[in-house]
Amino acid sequence: MVWVTLLVPMSTFADNTANLVNIKLANTRDDLLTYFEVKNAFTDKINQAVQNGVPTTFSFYVSLYKTGNTFFDKEIADVQIKSTVKYNSLKEEFSILRPWKDEKPVVTKSFEEAKSWMTEVDNLKVIPLKDLIKGDKYQIRIKAELDKVTLPLSLHYVLFFVSFWDFETDWYVINFTY
Amino acid sequence: MIEKQENSAQRRSRRKREGLLILVILIIVGGLTVVETRIAPFGKDFSLSSTVLMFILININLLLLLSLFLLVFRNLAKLYYEKKNNILGSKLKTRLVTAFIFLALLPTTVLFFFSIQFISTSIAFWFNAPVEQTLNSSLTVGQKLYEYIEAQNEFSAKRAAFQIDSRKLLQPENRKKLTRYAQVVQRAFNRNGIEVYTPDAKRACLSLANELEPLYFGLLTTTDLTKIPSAKVSNTIYQTIEEGEFLRTISTIPFGVEPSKAEGFIVVTTLISPDLSENLRAILKGVEEYQQLKLTKRPAQISYYIALSIVALLVIFCAIWFGFQMAKSITIPIMKFAEGTQRIADGDLNYQIDFQTDDELGTLIKSFNSMTRQLAAGREQIALTGEMLKEQNTELEKSRQYIEVVLKHISAGVVSIDNAGIITTINKAAESMLGINSLNILDKNFRQVLRGDYLQMANKIYEQAVQGLKNAQIPISTSISGAPKHFSLHYSTLKDDTDHTMGAVLVFDDVTELEKAQRMVAWREVARRIAHEVKNPLTPIKLSAQRLKRKYGRQINDEIFNGCADTIVEHVDLIRNLVNQFSTFAKFPDTNFSKDRIENVILETIVLYREGLERVDIQSNFGEDIPFLKLDHQQMKQAFINLIDNAVYAVNKEGIIVIDVSYDPILKIVRIEIADNGKGISDKEKTKLFEPYFSTKKSGMGLGLAIVNSIISNHNGVIRVQDNPPRGAKFIIELPA
Repeated sequence: MVWVTLLVPMSTFADNTANLVNIKLANTRDDLLTYFEVKNAFTDKINQAVQNGVPTTFSFYVSLYKTGNTFFDKEIADVQIKSTVKYNSLKEEFSILRPWKDEKPVVTKSFEEAKSWMTEVDNLKVIPLKDLIKGDKYQIRIKAELDKVTLPLSLHYVLFFVSFWDFETDWYVINFTY
Repeated sequence: MIEKQENSAQRRSRRKREGLLILVILIIVGGLTVVETRIAPFGKDFSLSSTVLMFILININLLLLLSLFLLVFRNLAKLYYEKKNNILGSKLKTRLVTAFIFLALLPTTVLFFFSIQFISTSIAFWFNAPVEQTLNSSLTVGQKLYEYIEAQNEFSAKRAAFQIDSRKLLQPENRKKLTRYAQVVQRAFNRNGIEVYTPDAKRACLSLANELEPLYFGLLTTTDLTKIPSAKVSNTIYQTIEEGEFLRTISTIPFGVEPSKAEGFIVVTTLISPDLSENLRAILKGVEEYQQLKLTKRPAQISYYIALSIVALLVIFCAIWFGFQMAKSITIPIMKFAEGTQRIADGDLNYQIDFQTDDELGTLIKSFNSMTRQLAAGREQIALTGEMLKEQNTELEKSRQYIEVVLKHISAGVVSIDNAGIITTINKAAESMLGINSLNILDKNFRQVLRGDYLQMANKIYEQAVQGLKNAQIPISTSISGAPKHFSLHYSTLKDDTDHTMGAVLVFDDVTELEKAQRMVAWREVARRIAHEVKNPLTPIKLSAQRLKRKYGRQINDEIFNGCADTIVEHVDLIRNLVNQFSTFAKFPDTNFSKDRIENVILETIVLYREGLERVDIQSNFGEDIPFLKLDHQQMKQAFINLIDNAVYAVNKEGIIVIDVSYDPILKIVRIEIADNGKGISDKEKTKLFEPYFSTKKSGMGLGLAIVNSIISNHNGVIRVQDNPPRGAKFIIELPA
């Protein structure tokens, strides 16, 4: 049984800033699971990039720390997952690859559907419950970011000085007692 | 001085450090740029760590650029302050730096804007409308092709679904018919494959074209089958295989119903040939890349602008820095030159410019250093010569002073004249002897100074000297300030080492006293001989005369006889008296010195003349502090009697006789002056006054003054006579105290 004790976004957000919402912790019989969603991840520029066929990858970082009396929190789990979307303008369909879900690439003609698949993370296994100790305090930290966009002709190196359309959310922290 | 050298050394080392730093920065920037260009093409698989490395490299690059920027601006600020403080060389430096900035700025700016324009045009050219239109058209063709095939598939599926539904071929007992029908449809519509699935995603039948392997036809899942968008009647999935690409169009049976209500699913497959598939992929890739590139159009432009700006700035900064270096390489030696000339002007000839360069400035510096060395050597030589001259001058001065001292202390008078007859030297002795003041005589021609006989004599000697006279000795007798003087004049022509006549020197020896003494000695000898020769026969003459008178006086009794005998006796006595006087003169009695006061002697003498000479006023003045003298009282009294006698005679028993006694403590002599206002003594008489048998009196023997002279000489004193203006004569006796 998990009690969510505190939900602390580390900063306030402007409307157009990417942020994490609907962060939830749950558990199955064996594992600790997490759910969350990225809001405002798809800016106009990212939309344009995706629709122009740029393979776009979101990375999600989930770390679990054991908090307690020690000065430094101890990291006991670190999960990194990626979701990639690629548009095929010839067939006018979006392929979404989510390796963490152990599934084949899913294809959709709807951009909205593709976006929701990209931004929603559900049923993500963080750690087996057997690794947690009853009554101890834990902290889960979550962050999402857009991987560096890969451009043809390695232009992403040449255009290094230009601020691109990448985003990165703050770390979202949840303290809980198992 | 040492501190200055240290400061200069510190500045040099700092400049070296700066130069080295800038060089290192430039090399590093270049190296990093090469590294970045090498790393960049590694492609899409470039790892995160490499990206971080890139980030670090580029940041270092920027930092270095910033450092260069700071260095250049620091130098510019320094130059500004140098110019403001009007430091030497700052103007030239400013001019050079400005020139370099403009020289660099002009082409760089032109190139910069040209490059910007070129890049903008190039980028615009890459993304020009025909390319985009062609690509879009290609994409549309591809899309239409897919749509066409899908439409064909959909049409086939529709016809087949209708037949399957109407003929109820989905029923399990009709499976064979379904299979046959599928084959018919496949062939009739020339499709590559027809499959029929039951609602639970079991494949009821499969009909394939001959060229296809069943292997490729994996079973579709319920998700695949039911995933028909609500707005459409079919869904196509794509599958790429070696032989090309499958388009598998899924439709419901009956056709067009919702998947949930479908009795079965028909899947019509068309194979696109590999070439076509490849081309379609190429079109897709081309379009995607184009679109992606189009996305980067603006960022790429900005990137190029930034890169170009950095390069332009780098060029400008390098030019400025180069300008600074160039300016320094010129201004530093110039400043050193300026400092050097200033130091040399201030007299520091040991200054050497410590700056080395291979160019013409180096040659100039070498020449300058060589010049200063030579100047220093020359000055040393001059200083040495000066020192020697100074020493020589000192020697000469010493020698001159010595000669002056010698001339001053020499008893002989020395007068020198140059070739023109100008009197150049007169010593003190000459001044004193001749009674003249050198200030009135020096630098004047002797012709202006001499008069009468003396001028004639001088002219004569001068003429003789011109004719070759070298030495001459001339006796001169004259009266100086009323006193008779005898000089022995020695004339010598002066010649230098080259036998060139420089003038003449006249040496005066005062032989007055000598002459007087010589005369006195001569006279004493005469007197002694006369006394000796004459005195001896006087006694027999007198005795004979007395005997004749005694013996024959009575017999003859002649008045004449007796008178003659008496006359003989009387005159013999007179002669004896005379001879005695001669004898006294010749052989003066021994002096009997005792300490006595000269005032007493004089007063005793004056008393003798008080009576009977009422019209003669004898005055006596005695100065203070007149010491005791060693005197023979009697002799001295005799001397004063003789002198006052003469004075009384001179005033003719009517006049004033003044006796002044004074003491000169410097010369330590007592001076006694006996002056009368009588008839005076002529210059000719003065010269013979102290000689025996010289008298102006009719009845005088002429021995009075000779005896006075003798007495004074015995007292180691001197007596001289001079005029007593306005009239009369003055005898001056000087006795040592």
